[in-house]
Amino acid sequence: MHMTITRSLMTLSAAVALAIGMPATAQADDPLAVSVLVPITGFLALEGTAQRNGAVMALDNPPEGVRVTYDVADTATSPEVAVTALRRALDRQKPVAIAAPIFGTQMLAMAPIADRADVPLITVSGTAKLTELGHDIVFRFFPTDAVVKVAQARYAVQDLGMKRPAILFQTTAYGQSGRTELVRVLGDLGVAPVLEEAIDPGIKDFVPALERAAAAGADGLLLQLHSGPTALAVRQAHERGFEGPIVAGSALHQPTTAALVEPAALAGVCAESASSPVSDSGAEMAAFAEAYRQRFEAEPDAFALAQYDGMNMVLAALAAGARTAEAVKIWLAGNRFQGLAMEYVSDGTGNMAHDAIILCYDGLTRTPVVRKRYDNVDGVR
Amino acid sequence: MRLAVHRRGLAYVMLFLTAGAVLLGAGDAYAMRVATLVGTYAIAAIGFQLVFGRLGLLALSQGALFAIGAYALALSSVHWGWPPVLGLVLSVVVPALAGALVAVPIARLESHYVALATLGLAQLVLLAVTNLEVTGGANGLYGIPPLTVFGFDLSDSWRMLAVVWVAVAMALCVFAWATGAGRAGRLATLRDAPHAALALGLDPISNRLLAFTVAGALAGLAGGFQALGLGVVSPAVARFDVMITLLAIAVVGGRGSVWGAVTAAAILVPLPEVFRGLEQAYLLAYGVMLLAAVVALPTGIDGLVRRVLPDAPAPTPTPAAPKSRKISVLRVERVAKRFGGVQALDGAGFDARAGEVTGIIGANGSGKTTLLNIVTGLETADAGVVRLDAIPLLNHSPRARAGLGLARGFQHPEIPGGIDVLATVSVAATLGAGMAALERVGLAGRARVPATSLGPAERRRLDIARALAAGPTILLLDEPASGLGAGERADLAVLLCALAKSGMAVVVVEHGMDFLLPIADRLVCLDAGRVLAAGPTDAVCRDPAVIAAYLGTESAS
Repeated sequence: MHMTITRSLMTLSAAVALAIGMPATAQADDPLAVSVLVPITGFLALEGTAQRNGAVMALDNPPEGVRVTYDVADTATSPEVAVTALRRALDRQKPVAIAAPIFGTQMLAMAPIADRADVPLITVSGTAKLTELGHDIVFRFFPTDAVVKVAQARYAVQDLGMKRPAILFQTTAYGQSGRTELVRVLGDLGVAPVLEEAIDPGIKDFVPALERAAAAGADGLLLQLHSGPTALAVRQAHERGFEGPIVAGSALHQPTTAALVEPAALAGVCAESASSPVSDSGAEMAAFAEAYRQRFEAEPDAFALAQYDGMNMVLAALAAGARTAEAVKIWLAGNRFQGLAMEYVSDGTGNMAHDAIILCYDGLTRTPVVRKRYDNVDGVR
Repeated sequence: MRLAVHRRGLAYVMLFLTAGAVLLGAGDAYAMRVATLVGTYAIAAIGFQLVFGRLGLLALSQGALFAIGAYALALSSVHWGWPPVLGLVLSVVVPALAGALVAVPIARLESHYVALATLGLAQLVLLAVTNLEVTGGANGLYGIPPLTVFGFDLSDSWRMLAVVWVAVAMALCVFAWATGAGRAGRLATLRDAPHAALALGLDPISNRLLAFTVAGALAGLAGGFQALGLGVVSPAVARFDVMITLLAIAVVGGRGSVWGAVTAAAILVPLPEVFRGLEQAYLLAYGVMLLAAVVALPTGIDGLVRRVLPDAPAPTPTPAAPKSRKISVLRVERVAKRFGGVQALDGAGFDARAGEVTGIIGANGSGKTTLLNIVTGLETADAGVVRLDAIPLLNHSPRARAGLGLARGFQHPEIPGGIDVLATVSVAATLGAGMAALERVGLAGRARVPATSLGPAERRRLDIARALAAGPTILLLDEPASGLGAGERADLAVLLCALAKSGMAVVVVEHGMDFLLPIADRLVCLDAGRVLAAGPTDAVCRDPAVIAAYLGTESAS
């Protein structure tokens, strides 16, 4: 009887192995595809290139036993190009995960399509709406405005003593979203901005905006601008002799942005960010930064690191046995992951990052120092 | 026969049908998405060809109208809950109205002023959609539902492809309607021969209104499809990139050619996709390809196709005499005109009687051409009276004067490109009347050749034929014999005499006395804007003042 049951179980096991197990083993040997769809050209080229670099660094060094292939495609800065790139990736590469653009407007167009295909999008986009639309495939590895803007506003008010800040923000989704959050947090702190000035990404001359800020009696500047405009605003504020402190958005932490400004003009200027690989002296971070420099002949930034961490979490999902896009999605949603920058865990809507830091420049070098940490700002972790 | 006439169009149709069949057969969803995008841009480019190609106006508002269409659909479906198919209707109507509104303020602007004014509109649209709450700000509007008709989902790759390309076919039909019934000739004349167009009584405003409205409707429809294809509309759709793409499609396709535009869209829209793998270098590669296309194909893709596969000439119509009117005299009295510090005319006048050739002579700058311009309404007079029999003309528009029988030939004939000789002369008349006018000037055998292929002498005859086609009662010609050989001058003299004999009043401004004196019944000699002498030709030629001021002793003898 016992033998019969054992034999039956063995037969059943063999049948299951033949029906499911054997093909599964064969599939496990096949490399899995990951698509990298990021803006490499256009006004987000700096951020997008950092994303690409971070993703590629992770995908080139998968954990033991994990084999992946990847394709990189430029999404430029229009939703049309991004959607076309996404459709091409879904149709031709069948990816289990996609490194997706930092540009929120593109993400808003891509998310419903990826949702229908059930393929997770791994992004560093800060646009708040992205994780509020009910899609369960968006995973954001850079803190949202609800985290980093809290750090920016609190540091400006509580540490620098700003009482009459002026906000210069970009006319893009990034700028408008950050501005809304800044105003909200400032309001909670009992401070009302004396000026809120929208700046088109193409504007090179910030003097009129700075004049208006001075005329409004601003005692400090809060910037929510992309890389190039941030550098221009900081430089022109210095040249014009604007005396109040400046706390910029995460764009200023990027070494490529700081490289556009003389160290003297950066004296006392601070910025929010999720991390700063060039400032962190830990061994692991230093190794990452050095490998990045060797590979791309550029300094790593927080966007590169966040995308690196995000793709490493995808690889961890694959190492844990996820073989399909859906399985990767479920693993990302249900697990914690200790990345280089921070520990990541979903808040239930795909927001994985919950820490922020404030970096400041000393006026002598272009390497900022971490001045303050704001951990678990949204209380998720 | 008709198939032979349209064989170029048939070749394009076969090409696109074959490409469509291959695409559907392959079943590649990504390729279908790109082909849908090609169709979307082709629709907007077909509309742009009407304004840019046919009217010659660099209207940089087409991209903005595309965006208005996209936002109209998004607003109606996302905010108001309209079904997308109704939103698609709105995406046609709103930009069409916007296009008409654009046409009104720029109705009298030309060249770079049109570009500047429409660029301003495009910037306004971009600013509005970026900053208005109702348009979703920089994030735009998302969550546009897929296109369904009676519950039937049309958003699938091949269904959407079919819907968009059916719309391309409809856009081609709309374009054919907008340029049909002789309108192609009128648009070409307004574009390349604006003075002749005015003198012929063509109405630039109504033609611009029509072109901008149709262009707006097509741009809006394309924008609607764009919104449906993406499921989201953002300010990116209002950025200048869209306008540049449409401009590139129009130029590479060939100015004014819709088939060229559709073909260029099929090449240029997928090109960034092809080069995208080059990452940062792709913009360079795209730019080089675009430049190479413009340099290698100066007349565009359709220009090349025309050379390789020319359409057979259309049949020529039977000549039909235009309606003739009867008048007795054109009377011009005490006309004055000042340009800044120069008194061009100072009380000048003349009578031109039916059945006579009236010559106007005088030194350069004496006011002869200005006088003709005032009579035909191309210039306004500071003072004076112009009457056609009892009808005062100075308060009439050039169009009304043309309707009363005034026709004008020019010192430098303006010849429109892209149309044949018969279409050129028939812009203000029937084809039959145009054919009759060509027979009259000896150009009937050249009726179906491109007007721009004519030599200088033939162009002068064409200019006269264009004036004659509408059946004028008064024909005013400005130096019609200049540049003609002896034989051609003799032929022209015979023609003018015959026209006068038929009851027309012929007024000829001319420097060539050997040509004018034998045919002129009466002469008017101008000097510094005043009439030095007027009367029968012999009497004026003997007038000592005329001899001293203009003719000289040799001519007088």
